Amino acid sequence: MSRYEENLWVITRDNLFALMDVFIKTREVIAPVRGHGGEVIFYPIESIDDVAWDWQYVNAVLPPKRFFLPQTEIMFEYSFDNGYRITPRYDDQVRMIFGIRPCDVNALIFLDRFFGGGSVSKKAPYEEPLFPDSHYIKRRANTFIIAFGCHQPGENCFCICCESGPFLEEDYDLQLTSMNGGYAVEVGSARGLKIIYGNEHFFRLASSNEVEELGRIKEDAVNKFRDTCAYMSKAIRRVTEGKVDNSLWEKLGERCLDCGGCSYVCPTCCCYNVVDTPLAEKSGIRTRTWDSCAFAGFTRIAGGEILRSDKTDRLKRRFFHKLSYQYIQKNKRHGCVGCGRCITTCLADINMPLVVESIRKQ
Amino acid sequence: MRDVYFPDIAIIDNIRDETGDVRTFTMRFKDPAIQENLSYRSGQFFEVSIFGVGEMPISITSTPSRKDFFELSVKNVGLVSAALHSLPTGCEVGIRGPFGNGFPYKEVFDKDLLFVGGGIGLAPLRSLINNVLDNRKNFGRIAILYGARTPGDLVFKDEFKVWQNKPNVTMLVTVDRGDEKWSGNVGVVTTLFPKVRIEAESTVAFVCGPPVMIPFVIKDLLKLGFTDDTIITTLERHMKCGVGKCGHCCIGHKYVCMDGPVFSYREMKAMVE
Repeated sequence: MSRYEENLWVITRDNLFALMDVFIKTREVIAPVRGHGGEVIFYPIESIDDVAWDWQYVNAVLPPKRFFLPQTEIMFEYSFDNGYRITPRYDDQVRMIFGIRPCDVNALIFLDRFFGGGSVSKKAPYEEPLFPDSHYIKRRANTFIIAFGCHQPGENCFCICCESGPFLEEDYDLQLTSMNGGYAVEVGSARGLKIIYGNEHFFRLASSNEVEELGRIKEDAVNKFRDTCAYMSKAIRRVTEGKVDNSLWEKLGERCLDCGGCSYVCPTCCCYNVVDTPLAEKSGIRTRTWDSCAFAGFTRIAGGEILRSDKTDRLKRRFFHKLSYQYIQKNKRHGCVGCGRCITTCLADINMPLVVESIRKQ
Repeated sequence: MRDVYFPDIAIIDNIRDETGDVRTFTMRFKDPAIQENLSYRSGQFFEVSIFGVGEMPISITSTPSRKDFFELSVKNVGLVSAALHSLPTGCEVGIRGPFGNGFPYKEVFDKDLLFVGGGIGLAPLRSLINNVLDNRKNFGRIAILYGARTPGDLVFKDEFKVWQNKPNVTMLVTVDRGDEKWSGNVGVVTTLFPKVRIEAESTVAFVCGPPVMIPFVIKDLLKLGFTDDTIITTLERHMKCGVGKCGHCCIGHKYVCMDGPVFSYREMKAMVE
């Protein structure tokens, strides 16, 4: 156990509702919300009545990635008046993400390393990147994380194979686990502890029975995940060595629709395109937008040549990036957190467990 | 924290037509302090912004040994390069960088150097050639072999004589197809190899040119006795961020913008893709 503070706290459901009311008044609170089609998405809430509570959903259909790397993000504005003036745009909004699942928190830790060299979260010190991404880092630093541990795996969950769930060991602010009609509250950071001490009347220290109870709940939950399995290590080795038979990528390439859905729903995918948009004759904006290595245009160079014009090459590229040891060495973990969203999303049935299993059987 | 996506403003001071579709732009940063503090390695690149159109990576063709300005040679092939070509002197562009690793420089002190260029590929080599010539005593014999499709496609023609006249420099030029006025060599750049004295053991080769040229040159260099470590070349990708984030330039686990664009042949062979 590597909690920031060893004490375990308890909050009743009513007190949690009351505390949330306090939060909603003081910052933007992002929480799981039920959409019109019944699906659960992360969305800014105005009242606790909007929240889909943890017992009502397994995970949101989309990761909360867009609150750190928006689908379209303005990098700066430019204007011309006897010379160019560039005005950077930053998002300084103080946020709280409530109800985020451990897999998605692990994806954030992955992105922290990639964009900020780990300067945002403290897990596994990592070399400072040469070029930290100030836009991502600002958002991340301003976002408080209240995670919910998972009792019950969803039909496509395999976090247990990716060391990213069903509970967090570190790098959250607060982690809540449903228990006896209330919640066990683990403290993962200094600012998490500050929230507890700042609202102490809502919390009480857990009894030794409750500490034991939480241990049992976690063990039970882990056992429920035993059925889901993706044998990552063999896939990692074979991808690393370039020993996956090309026929696999060819077979998958034939059915890939290159829609990019896998990248958009993936909590660790973060490639982006850069686009200038004039808004008037002498002014405009530069934006970055989500991009996907599944798109043919991803590797287009000046003159029109497309370097990965074949879907086979693009799929191979995607899974090399997610699985190869070369990238594990760079990012300190493989690029999959086992959230299972690619399974849910891909119309052609191409997803991480399937690829891993196909490589194992080759 | 410095915003790595924030471009500084530079002014186009001079424009020189190299060929029908290649122009060399001499620029300086608008803020004199930025220009004064500018330091870069030959082989590095800038991200050049034409605001409202976009940004493109362009290798720096001037040498870091000459201050107060920098030069970019740009072929008119895409959206942003066409927009740059439409600008007259005095216009402002955005510049980020320098980015990338650059050519080995101190690492090749006292070596003989062989430069093999094709078409606009001479642009990054020119930076290193002039840097080497400005510090001539640190290097051995120098051979510059340059090829282009037609005489009209040769870039930096004015400098060929300057280079030729330096001590211990051999400069040979060839074209794939000559015209009525052309009396020089005809043939691909590798046909120049037998015409110069090359001692592979003491030489490092720098190869830059169109993707179709590189494999042929490498094959012949290996035959001459060059090793995987003494063949240095560059890769082209549309590097949209220049800082290893946007993902467009990845080959295997290498980011061309951060780990390259300069790679030894050994590094290129090790790329799993």
